[in-house]
Amino acid sequence: MIHLPKNETKLMVAVHGWSGILLGLVLYAVVLTGTAAVFAEEIGIWSSGHMSSTSAFERPVGQNVQALGSQTPTKYHEGVDLFEVGDHDLGAFFHRHEIDPDGELVSRGIFYRVNSNGQVIDRQAGTSEEVFGPRNDDALSHFLVDTHVRLHLPNPWGLLLTGILGLAMLVAAVSGLMIHRHLFKDIFTLRRKANPVLFNRDRHSVAGTWSLPFAFILAFTGSFFSFFGTVGVPIVAMAAFGGDVQALNSSVFGNPGQADPRPAPTSGIDRITRDAIQRTGEIPTFVTIENFGRADAKVTTFHPPEKGGVLPISLLYDGADGRFEQVKPLIGTKPSAGGALAGIMSPLHFGNFAGILSKAVWFGLGFAMCYVTLTGLRLWVVRRANETRSLGWLDRMVTIVGLGLPFALLCTAVAFLCTTSSGSALFWTPAGFLMASALVIIGGAFIRDRIKLSILLECGMGILMLILPSLRLFMGGPGWVIAMKAGQPIIAAVDIALLIAGLWMLARHFPQRAPRSGELTLQAAE
Amino acid sequence: MAGPGAICVTVIVMAGMTLWLPGGRAGIDNLVLPLVLAPLIWAVLFFHACLDRSVGRVALIALALLLTHGGLLAHKWANWPSTAKEGGR
Repeated sequence: MIHLPKNETKLMVAVHGWSGILLGLVLYAVVLTGTAAVFAEEIGIWSSGHMSSTSAFERPVGQNVQALGSQTPTKYHEGVDLFEVGDHDLGAFFHRHEIDPDGELVSRGIFYRVNSNGQVIDRQAGTSEEVFGPRNDDALSHFLVDTHVRLHLPNPWGLLLTGILGLAMLVAAVSGLMIHRHLFKDIFTLRRKANPVLFNRDRHSVAGTWSLPFAFILAFTGSFFSFFGTVGVPIVAMAAFGGDVQALNSSVFGNPGQADPRPAPTSGIDRITRDAIQRTGEIPTFVTIENFGRADAKVTTFHPPEKGGVLPISLLYDGADGRFEQVKPLIGTKPSAGGALAGIMSPLHFGNFAGILSKAVWFGLGFAMCYVTLTGLRLWVVRRANETRSLGWLDRMVTIVGLGLPFALLCTAVAFLCTTSSGSALFWTPAGFLMASALVIIGGAFIRDRIKLSILLECGMGILMLILPSLRLFMGGPGWVIAMKAGQPIIAAVDIALLIAGLWMLARHFPQRAPRSGELTLQAAE
Repeated sequence: MAGPGAICVTVIVMAGMTLWLPGGRAGIDNLVLPLVLAPLIWAVLFFHACLDRSVGRVALIALALLLTHGGLLAHKWANWPSTAKEGGR
């Protein structure tokens, strides 16, 4: 229990309310898309109908990489990133670090995509920003992630905005903790039979209290990620290396050793991936090669955490002879407090440290955060409804964004499924979102009854969720039996989740029952 | 004022921390910890500014942090590049 003096408590209530009200709706958009993006990989498999379940790193890819290296200018051999792309194809980005005309450090080079038959099916030259953009087959999951990460604003403004939103969420979480006089009692207090005022406040309070630690973790790690490259790295590089970001990166992420520029083939990649899988029991998610084709080449493999662990694992190999050198911390060459703290940020934010189970928990808690944000906004508005009528627009706006955003995201999925086979999903996925958003905004402007608007949007979402699995099949996606046989049960799982959620959304309104008092109308909490 | 003010102080503190934090076993703690801790530093400064009844004390602490860390940075840059080879220390 936290006992602040009365004045400080009042101040914290004001800070809690204003931190939410100023940025609440945008924060809601970031949290909602982040909640969906927890399953971005699974959504990608479902939406594109990926049937391959064998990782690119379980196949022999060494010869492909060697061949790509020989056709790539040597200036781009400074670094090679290997990762999976699309339906377990291999992505290889040969690059070098250089300063662009704006003075920013960028990775520039050539990106190749190699399919499971070893054929190069895509080749692009450019910076990492340019070549890692969305593709026709991952436009939907990419759209979700991009909305969450930067709200589709150009760099660095999008990241700065989401970073500030993270700080606002941090403030809301900490002030929310401070204004609870009876924290542990509040966790279990849900007075269903009390008057609507108390019942609605209890719902906000219970959801908020249970998700408080999670909100704190998400806000902290989220603002860390947003500010890391945009503000943090340039400032630390300025202070410690006179602004040389490359020197900072080499100190923190590099593998120190004596330079040996003599040519030597980096030929042991298959042996390295096999050994790495054997040592960690996990397939690499990412492999980097420093100084490709040189005697001092180093290969680092990155793996998900071991069972029961939280920190991802990385192993270091000699690139010339494929010899294992050491288990390497993600950051730095030896284990350290800073490296461990920075390494734990990613699993804590993405919730991917224990497979589907931890992702499901993160999804559920993210959903609770969305609920807390929306009910908090509504409580704030209703509390002031008697003071001024001019907040009616905000009340309707909460409904338009709160229900309109998930509706628009479902329309985005429909647009993707309808257009991906024709190769135009890159255009139609965001266009579908914009059109659905415009429809909701116009509808919200004309339908002034908030309850009617809510029912319409919820029914619309329910119908879309029911349509999506059939639409996926109709557009040539794999059926459940085929997907299961191919080792992709996630396709059926997403279909079933959509059908259940769609039925639940519709069942709330059909047959229409009289709303319980206070179910749809929040009243002043205090 | 508390939010933007805390951001300014956090930026300077983050930069200054690289110069006095120990490097740790891997020699990178002074570079990584300021990046990781920046949101927390901001939150502490923000809530201190909100909850401390004495505005003077809030200003004094912020000013002390600004001056000490700003001074460290000024000293480092004044002696540049002789300190550059020390890996940020």
